[in-house]
Amino acid sequence: MASSRDDFIIAIRSAFLKKSTKQKFSLLTLVFLSAFIILLSNLDLKPIRVLKSIISEIVFRSSFLVSIPENFLLSSYLNIKEYSNYHKEFKITKEELNELKSENISSKIIKSENEELKILIDGYFSSKNKILAKVIVDHESPFLKTIIINKGSKEKIKIGTNIYDRSYLVGRVIEVNYTTSRILLLSDLNSSVPVSITPGNVQAIVNGTGDKKGEIKYIKGNLIDNIKSRSIAYTSGTGSIFKSGKPVGRIELYEENNIKKILIDFYSDFSQLKYVFAEVEGEIIEKQNFEEKKSTNLSTEKIKLDLINEELEIFKDTNLKFIDENQNLKTEINRLNEKMYILEKKNNEYKNSAKKEQIDQEELEFLRLNLLYSNRCQSKKLFSTGYNIGSKEYKDCIMRKGKKIRKGKKIND
Amino acid sequence: MIKFSKKTYLYKIYTWMPLIILYISVFNEFDFNYLNLEYFSFNFPFILIFYFSLKEYHHFDFFLVFIAGLINDTVVGLPLGISSLSYILICIFASYLRNITIRPHLIKDWFYFLFTISLINSVNYSILFLFFSFELEIVFFLINNFFTFLFYIFFTTIFNRYLKGINE
Repeated sequence: MASSRDDFIIAIRSAFLKKSTKQKFSLLTLVFLSAFIILLSNLDLKPIRVLKSIISEIVFRSSFLVSIPENFLLSSYLNIKEYSNYHKEFKITKEELNELKSENISSKIIKSENEELKILIDGYFSSKNKILAKVIVDHESPFLKTIIINKGSKEKIKIGTNIYDRSYLVGRVIEVNYTTSRILLLSDLNSSVPVSITPGNVQAIVNGTGDKKGEIKYIKGNLIDNIKSRSIAYTSGTGSIFKSGKPVGRIELYEENNIKKILIDFYSDFSQLKYVFAEVEGEIIEKQNFEEKKSTNLSTEKIKLDLINEELEIFKDTNLKFIDENQNLKTEINRLNEKMYILEKKNNEYKNSAKKEQIDQEELEFLRLNLLYSNRCQSKKLFSTGYNIGSKEYKDCIMRKGKKIRKGKKIND
Repeated sequence: MIKFSKKTYLYKIYTWMPLIILYISVFNEFDFNYLNLEYFSFNFPFILIFYFSLKEYHHFDFFLVFIAGLINDTVVGLPLGISSLSYILICIFASYLRNITIRPHLIKDWFYFLFTISLINSVNYSILFLFFSFELEIVFFLINNFFTFLFYIFFTTIFNRYLKGINE
């Protein structure tokens, strides 16, 4: 027993402390060093922040370089796949273009109205600018959904800066270095975005699921039914973390084990991000040429137009549903009226039969009492104190069990 | 099989291959996540570190493994030192197994590896959740653990061939 314990201690000691010929440090030293670094990284001190920033700068650049072959292979594969789908996509795009052309006029009207309304909302248009940033590290870790961009504090990026893919919100900055920044994507479990859902103008919070879709978790119970599938979610601006009015995604309704689940399909595909826009305050640092700006503005306008069109479609769909529902309700009302008429008729029949039965009962009672008291009520020849048989008075007398009434005076026999 | 002359630079690079691959994998997060298979992921550095620590490979410097952990933390966005601690703990467990084993057996090593990575992932999860308040999905950890365990045999076969090539 003692020897086995000794063996265990020797093995443990050997594992922890023994240095091989080529090893510079024992494993125990390295364990302590790791624990010390973890402790330091937990402390938010300026020298540590600077050191972390320097390490991050070097590692991100190196990671970008190391990822080049893998990224090249991946992009080649995607390019080949894209080429094979060109014809199919061309047909779909052509159809979409025709549809868009036909809806363009109405969209223009809505757009001008929309802009007028937006101007009315204070703080909607601010002097913020967007700068283009390249995604240099995107490893799609299963645990943390983050990306690294090649813009940092040098370009006035701060913690919390909103990041966009075209006009769609993709996340916010959580770590800033001098020339790089880390973006927390909306799909990350730690991400929460306050949104408005239209139609209905329902306020909610979208949380990341670690997967491609987000989930709406915090919403008032009575408003859940107001949310419809394919509704649009955009940032509400609550909490001032995200700017208001930025499209986030579309609503998808699911039901699992009788529990209604509201998922959100993000507009942007986070796995395909190559370039993103960072919204910085102040002047634009990066000089973009006029053509680039124009094309960006045009694409932004187009996206907005698309969104409004989509919203219109939803309204149309909802309207059609209401009309259908209305017609159904009318048919139902007619059916119920008919049913009511039949029931009323039956009720009258029952009432009549009940009345008849009551009369029969009275008749029967009269006949029974007639047998007993007919002598008292009949008119006799010698003493005309009774009534004629068949008269109303005679019947009343029988019903009173032979008691007679004469000129307001009751006579007892 | 490719044979190198032992004095060439190519041979020297070949002998440092485990560490080179380890560094590429931490810089690049090599886990086939781009296959877009739902929940699929595995921790390649765990397999590599465990195997070469177990075999006491002379070019496998623990300090460089420690540095690789720091790089992994920076790339993934974890607090600095977490991966280093995990990697060093794997080295310790592998060294302990090597010390107590007289006749190595692949299946025993395999299940010991499962025990080791489960323990280390639990420690990782606890540290991240309790001390750093990270919101993490435990299912991802379990699945990652399971696939890392499964892939151990496959990579062991490849590494065995590599070591055989070196020794020859």
